[in-house]
Amino acid sequence: MLSDAGSIPAASTSFGSSDVLNNRKLLTRAAGLPLLLFFAGSLSVAGLSGQVPSQGPPAARGAERIKTVVIDPGHGGIEVGAKGKFGNLEKEITLAVGLKLKALIEKNMAFNVVMTRDRDVDVSIENRSAIANNHKADIFISIHANGALQKKAQGSETFFLNLNATDEETRRLAYLENNSSQLESRIDPSSDDDLMMILWDMAQTAYIRESSRLAEMVQGELNALLGTRNRGIKQAPFKVLAGVACPAILVEAAFLSNPEEEKRLASEQFQAGIADAIYRGLARYLRSVT
Amino acid sequence: MAEEKKAGISRRAFVLGGLAVALVALAVLFYTGGGREEIRHIAETVLPKAAPSEEETGGRVSVTLFFLSDDDDLLHRETREIAAGPTPADEAERALEELIKGSEKDYLSPLPPQARVRQVFVNKDGTAYVDFGKEIMEKFSYGSSSELAAVYAVVNTLAVNFRPIKRVVILVEGAERETLGGHVDLSRPFAANLALVAK
Ligand SMILES: [Zn+2]
Repeated sequence: MLSDAGSIPAASTSFGSSDVLNNRKLLTRAAGLPLLLFFAGSLSVAGLSGQVPSQGPPAARGAERIKTVVIDPGHGGIEVGAKGKFGNLEKEITLAVGLKLKALIEKNMAFNVVMTRDRDVDVSIENRSAIANNHKADIFISIHANGALQKKAQGSETFFLNLNATDEETRRLAYLENNSSQLESRIDPSSDDDLMMILWDMAQTAYIRESSRLAEMVQGELNALLGTRNRGIKQAPFKVLAGVACPAILVEAAFLSNPEEEKRLASEQFQAGIADAIYRGLARYLRSVT
Repeated sequence: MAEEKKAGISRRAFVLGGLAVALVALAVLFYTGGGREEIRHIAETVLPKAAPSEEETGGRVSVTLFFLSDDDDLLHRETREIAAGPTPADEAERALEELIKGSEKDYLSPLPPQARVRQVFVNKDGTAYVDFGKEIMEKFSYGSSSELAAVYAVVNTLAVNFRPIKRVVILVEGAERETLGGHVDLSRPFAANLALVAK
């Protein structure tokens, strides 16, 4: 089945008009303990199996288990993203690249491709993650063009999520200290908050290694194909990556704030090159997980 | 092999199922119980203003601000004197106002000059809540790089200078936002990030 942004309204109704908080915050409200424990149990299974190669999701999930690729063209609608001095907008470039990538994948691979948007519309970041999760995304690729205040800044980079591990560890230990015994009677709203955050983080941590491998392969192709400066793979606390329950990367193809790169980003040939590089990186990644 | 695959799939289904059930149930709980008490909760836990000390009568303190250089991708330190006291929150607010004013050297400002600090709270647990006016979102068109720079210039300016501040939450117009410009997650507190700072 082929999905596109036509599915956005469905995702919106289940997850979020503006008064609905994000997935995690939803979980942190007045949670019932039995539910929490059930949730804890199921997530810890995922967390553990993530550590052991050749066993279960997500680390050793073979390519044949990957069915759905979600493409997220950054920004859209009134949210234009970075702006170039010649007037090119990040939201236009990300959409053009996203559509080309969709076409490439559909032509050459047997995956279901879902777009978080396929036209110039606003989609909250929360809804982008929700669309991916509702479609059981196996791989999530967010496409952006960078913007910096330094006019000379240039090149391509690929991000994956940074969960600020030391902070999480501190929180986890503090939680365990405070709740190791009599969990049921002592749990209070603030520790619910902590517990839910820990659980979500555990699930995310399980995907990070796969995300970094995917990032590495896509980044390699970007430099090879585009001839841009290699800024490498990096970690950052990007919202759209934090909400997605699968390996997820965010590609910064080049800098719109750099006039030379803006000209390139605006050309259809360069946009096709970006899509091709991401496609090749994805293909390499899929071969490596088989 | 097939067994293993099946186990993997069912485990995954179990995880996703658990997530879905939890989400639905919690959505119901959210609507029937609780609510938006975030801001009130913050307000209640703000440290009481300390009694005026001698220090604040004309005292000055030196703070480190973080700006961008045209020559690299890092944040660069610049020191500035601000009026001292009475509370860390007051000093933090002044430091941010200096950050917004911009560099006295040739550095670039990571924040739009129109940005406005509405208030800084410092919680007992060491979390500072910085509430900006909407200008910080509206006056810049952020790319990932400039958004990371804006966030960490604010976070480092607070977390590096003020010992009571261990982590920083950025609010806009009194509310939690997803991001400033579509990239960096504002829902979690930030610790100082010195990896982005020039030596
Ligand atoms: Zn972007």
